[in-house]
Amino acid sequence: MSLLRLEALSKKFGDHWALKEIDFSIGQGEIIGLVGPNGAGKTTLFNLITGRHRSNSGRVFFAEEDITSCRPHEIHRLGISRTFQSSRPFAKMSALENVVVGCVFRAEFHLFTRATDIDTAKQLLELVGLSHKVVTPAGDLTLSEQRRLDLARALASQPRLLLLDEVVAGFSPLAVKQAVELVRRVRERGVTLFIIDHFLSLSLRVSDRLLALDHGEKVAEGSPQEVMRNREVIRAYLGMRYEDEQHGA
Amino acid sequence: MSKAKAKNQRVKQFHLTKVALALGLVLLLLLPVLSHYSDYVLQVFTHALLLATLALAWNILSVSGSISLGHAAFFGVGAYGSALLSLDLGVSPWVTIPLGGLLAAAVAMIMALLCLRLRSAYFALATLAFVEIPKVITDNWNGLTRGSLGLVGLPGLPSLRLGSYHFDISGSPTGSYYFVLCYGLVLLLLVAVIFRSNLGLALQAIREEEVAAEAVGIQVQQYRLLSLLLSGFFTGITGACYAHLVRYIEPGLVYGLHFSAIPMVFAICGGRFTILGPALAALVLYPLDQFIFHPLLPAGHEFLYGAVIILAILFMPSGFWGRLRKGHLVSIKTGSIE
Repeated sequence: MSLLRLEALSKKFGDHWALKEIDFSIGQGEIIGLVGPNGAGKTTLFNLITGRHRSNSGRVFFAEEDITSCRPHEIHRLGISRTFQSSRPFAKMSALENVVVGCVFRAEFHLFTRATDIDTAKQLLELVGLSHKVVTPAGDLTLSEQRRLDLARALASQPRLLLLDEVVAGFSPLAVKQAVELVRRVRERGVTLFIIDHFLSLSLRVSDRLLALDHGEKVAEGSPQEVMRNREVIRAYLGMRYEDEQHGA
Repeated sequence: MSKAKAKNQRVKQFHLTKVALALGLVLLLLLPVLSHYSDYVLQVFTHALLLATLALAWNILSVSGSISLGHAAFFGVGAYGSALLSLDLGVSPWVTIPLGGLLAAAVAMIMALLCLRLRSAYFALATLAFVEIPKVITDNWNGLTRGSLGLVGLPGLPSLRLGSYHFDISGSPTGSYYFVLCYGLVLLLLVAVIFRSNLGLALQAIREEEVAAEAVGIQVQQYRLLSLLLSGFFTGITGACYAHLVRYIEPGLVYGLHFSAIPMVFAICGGRFTILGPALAALVLYPLDQFIFHPLLPAGHEFLYGAVIILAILFMPSGFWGRLRKGHLVSIKTGSIE
């Protein structure tokens, strides 16, 4: 049984098809890399899954439930969390408060009582290596710290599916290595991961399967090795001439 | 070592502010005695406390990131609603004051339908224009509101009896003062509960980053609406109290820009993201204005508010209380001192 299933999902911005008829499914416990050049439609796909944008046609199923027209907070409460391409911290709130906010608004909570998930939040900050920044306002963290805070906040709701949008963009090789470790630890908690990774530095190392998009269309899916040998993928990333040299004559 | 020292200093400062606050509260409680029951001093502080409740109520909306310039609509509707119900139907002000608050909340609902899809400056401008709706209606519906002449001779607050003890409210400046002080303390407590609750966390998250707030399960528009309704309700209560304490209202006064702008001035000077800041600023600035600047400059004493708001925005954007509290409202205790 698939955890997430996309059926002929399409999105149009003006006259431009950002996504065209995407079919794909993700099984429980998988790590899927979503790759493709700039403008391929990767973030748009995340925005459709999380309800931030409405699709023009097609359907999204989560645990066999149709969530195509659900609002973002409803989708979050069903168990899908995400991080953002450029992290979006609650800047004036402390790192701890950021993560606590992630903990609170699940299926059941009381609006007028105080948050009680402080220990959970502290553990998550430790998991992402921010336990020394608990009281620091999120806006004062470095960019890589903010990304990790984003991740802790997304994990706080104990999601079943976690969508990571470019978590390692701009990271040093060492930081990428740490991120690989982190992603594996997250998977050990039973979380299914869908990872956008433009430069493939993370997804090639951790993914079970890759989904490759170009100009809003699915060009390949399969194991990382298969997808990386795919002609369409090579053309999308490296252009026509390179592909011709490889396969031509 | 230096870190421990800095922490030590913060602990010291924390205790100092606590002591100062306790002292301030004692002074407020003893004010009638300390001022030798001076009518003038008590009237000034009664009004300062009313303005403090206005600033507290305004801040319930402001903490979610929406700056309103239209709270005079709630103040005026609360004042007129309660005044007319008590005047025409003879209902006790103890009943009509909460009804005035509910009427103001109903008006807040209308404001929400018209303005709440807007953000930042657009929201502020729309609310500024919105005040004209209830104002024009009140001004012109002569049959109901007596129009622009206003209402005079409003019933005061009946005295409370506790056994043989008789607590006079409207008849004596001391009674009025203690009544408003009680209301102020209750509202302060409510604001503290709201700000430190999950709702408070949600409102702050919405203020900081709406898209992320939505993505962590927060119902952005519902909670913005709730904060506007709560804010409007308590502003209406304050307007109703004002009507029965001053016992004279007219549209130009209660719907005036003054009551829209003054809570913003106090909130920004005291600290928008703090619980106490707006109330403290009202209790400091209004008496300062009345006791010092008014005698010096009878015609232009309100320049004080203009000056302090410019100074605050330039040099202390988080307000003086916000600055003492390290610039951000901390809802969650972490074991250390924030």
